[in-house]
Formats: sequence, C-alpha cells, structure tokens
Amino acid sequence: MAGVDSNRAACEPSCEVLELEPLIRDSKNGARGRRARLLGVGEALVGVAVRPLAAGIELGRRGERELRGAVVSGVDAATLATVDALLASPLAGEVVDRVLASPLARMTVERALSGPLVEAASRNVVQYAVLERVADELLPGETVDGLLERAQTADVPRRVADRLLADGVLDQTVARVLEGPELERVVESALDSAAMEKLVVRVIESRLLEEAVERLLQTDELWLMVDEIARSPAVAEAIQRQSLGFADEVAGGVRTRSRKIDDRLETRARRVFRRKPRGPGEAPGSGT
Amino acid sequence: MSEVAGRVRAAARAHHAQEAVPLPRAPEYEGLVTRAIAFALDAAIISGVSVVVGAAAGLTLSVLSVPSSVEAAVFGFAGGICLLWSTAYFVTFWCTTGQTPGNRVLGIRVCLAEDGSAPRPARALLRLIALTLCAIPLFAGFLPILVNDRRRGVHDMLAGTVVVGWPDQAAAVAANGTGRQT
Repeated sequence: MAGVDSNRAACEPSCEVLELEPLIRDSKNGARGRRARLLGVGEALVGVAVRPLAAGIELGRRGERELRGAVVSGVDAATLATVDALLASPLAGEVVDRVLASPLARMTVERALSGPLVEAASRNVVQYAVLERVADELLPGETVDGLLERAQTADVPRRVADRLLADGVLDQTVARVLEGPELERVVESALDSAAMEKLVVRVIESRLLEEAVERLLQTDELWLMVDEIARSPAVAEAIQRQSLGFADEVAGGVRTRSRKIDDRLETRARRVFRRKPRGPGEAPGSGT
Repeated sequence: MSEVAGRVRAAARAHHAQEAVPLPRAPEYEGLVTRAIAFALDAAIISGVSVVVGAAAGLTLSVLSVPSSVEAAVFGFAGGICLLWSTAYFVTFWCTTGQTPGNRVLGIRVCLAEDGSAPRPARALLRLIALTLCAIPLFAGFLPILVNDRRRGVHDMLAGTVVVGWPDQAAAVAANGTGRQT
C-alpha cells in the first residue's frame, strides 16, 4: 500500500507535466450532458404515449360519477314514492295501531321517559323557547277563549272549587294569607291609597250611611244589645275602675299638695321656734 | 379551740351577709295639713251618718206624739249613740288597719312608734281621748306636729303612735322607729 502511494506520488508530477488533466475533465462533462438529453427525450416520448390512456381514465371516472348520481337520485325518488304509497295506503293506519298496541311501543315510551331523553327534551324546550312560542301562538287567537268556554261548559270551575274545598287547600291558603305579611302589606297599601280615602269619604257623606244608622237606631235589637252590654260585669267593672281611677287621681293630687303645704308650714314653724331645719338630703315628708 | 370559734364566727358573718336585706329607708311622717284633711274627711263621714240617722230619728219623733221628757231622753240617747259611733269609728279603724277612710284617701296610716304595727284598742282609745283634749286649747296640742322630728302631736306622744305614709311606710317604722327621737 505504501508502495502504491509512492507510485502515484511519483506519477502525478509526470501528468501535470504532460497537460492531460483538462482533457480528462472535458470528456467526463460531455458524457453527463448526453445522458441528460437522452432522459429528456425518453420522458417526452412516454408522455405522448400515455396521454390517450389518461384521457380514457378521466372519461371513465366522469361516467362513473354521473351514473352513481343518477342511481342515487333514482333510489331517492323510488324511496319517496314508496313512502308516499305506504302512507297513502289503508294499511298504514293499521300498522300504526298495531305498533302502538304492541308491548314494543309501551317499552319504548317507558325507556324514553326513564332515560335522559326527558331532561334533554326539557333543556331543548327551554333553550329554544318552545313554551313562549306556543303561548305567542295561542294567546292572540281565540284558542284560549275556546278552552275557557269548554272548561266552563264542562263545569270545571265548580269541580275545581269543590276539590279545593274538600282537600282543605282553601283553608290552608286562607290561614297562610292571614298569617303572612302579605295581607298586612296589601291592607296598608290600600289604606294609604288616595282611592280608599275617597271611598271612605264618599261612604260617610252618602245617604246610605245615614239611612243605615237611622234604621239601626229604630231596631229593638240594638237597644237590647246596649242593655245587655251595660249590664255586663265587664262594663260595670270598667266603669268602676275608671271611677276609682278618677278618685285616686283626685286623692293623689290632694295628697301631693297637702304634703307640700306640710313641708312649707313646718319650715316656717321651725324658723319661728328656732328649731334646726331639716337636713338638705332628706326627702320631703321624711321626719328624721 | 379559738381557731374553731374564729371559723364559726367567720361562717356566721358570711351567712349573715348573705341573708342581709337592705333596710327600708326612713319613713315618711305625715304633717299637720295632710292629717287635718284626712280628719276632716272622717268627720264628714261621721257627721253625714249622724245627720242621716238623726234626721230619721227626728222625723220619726215628729210624727209620733211623745212626751217631752221622753223626747229629752231620746235625744240624750241619740247623743250617746253618736258619741259611741264616733269613738267606735276611730278606734275600730285604727286598731284594724290603722287607717280610717279619710286616712286611706290621703294615703296615711296610724301605727305604733315602736314597731309600726296597728295600735291596740286601749292605745287607740287613749289616742282619741288625747286628740279630743288637744283640740280643746285652740288646737294647741297639735302644734308639736310642726316642730317634732317625727311629726307627732301631743296625742301621738301620749299614745306612742306615729302617722306615716301608706302603704309601705310601716315597715320602715319597724326598722327605724325604736331608736328614733320623739
């Protein structure tokens, strides 16, 4: 190996000397160019040869698409025609009745109601404002009036009232209203309103009240009631208590004044008799 | 031994301190004017009853034709009844509740100076007699009420009574009365 390198090293100076290097380089480049030109020509020849084949393939594809579309539209039309024929046939109702009467329908409904379908449906009803839309459709029309008339014809209000009374709902409602603060608020707002004031004034100024009072005074029952009340122990006790209260009040006034006079009189008498006056901390009337 | 006695004394002091109740404040002795008004009310009641009874008796006697000697005896008897009625009125009320109706209206009460209790009949009778005697010298016997520290007249001093405010002053007399200056 060392011998070969030594021979090459020995030869190279001889080549440079003979100027063979450019010739060798030119010959290599020429071979490469020829090879490239040959490849280009080959490709062009292949392209020309394959072009009809590609056009044929494309044509086949287009035909396949058109055929498939025609088949699909035909199948759709046939399906719709079949469905129309089925729906129009008298068997459709029978089929529906049988399906609904079968346990399958019941099971289907049960599973649907026990599953998450109800929640999903409710969410959708709320989400898409179904109730509002239905109400918008129903309220302006005569549907509500018709429903109310039918309910009235069917004696629904009386039945509802009977049911409420029988179940005690009305009692509970009345009790709740009487115990709750709502009634007080309503009464307060009613009493504070100017309309109520006007109403009271009109009632007082009307002849209705005068006539009512006159009729009441002409009845014997009123005076019987007054006699009964006057004879009642509660009224007698109240009158007695009031009289005693008045007497106590008078006696208290006399007592207070007499004690003040006592104090003044005693002070002067002590001064006359040169006795030591009462101490400053002693209460009036305390004879220490 | 002395240690035990000290402990007992300390325990007794603690117990006494626990059970001690605040003493009632000094009683309010009633003055001359208040008592005079009360007495006037009593006199009005006594006189009213006497007048009614006397008028009834007089009317009865005016209808009946009785001899003058009998009439004099009847008047004497009526006077005795009137005196008895007045005496019984005061003595009974002072002995029972310590309050005549006039005293009740004015809110005063007669009680013993020693313990605040109602006077016994003998004391009450003595007080009434002394009260009558006090009125004889132009009511001079009532003047000590103006200068006495416990507002006592001569009749009170003789009977050992005081006149205090009602309803809760008798307890104060019981607590403070024995050592008080008369």
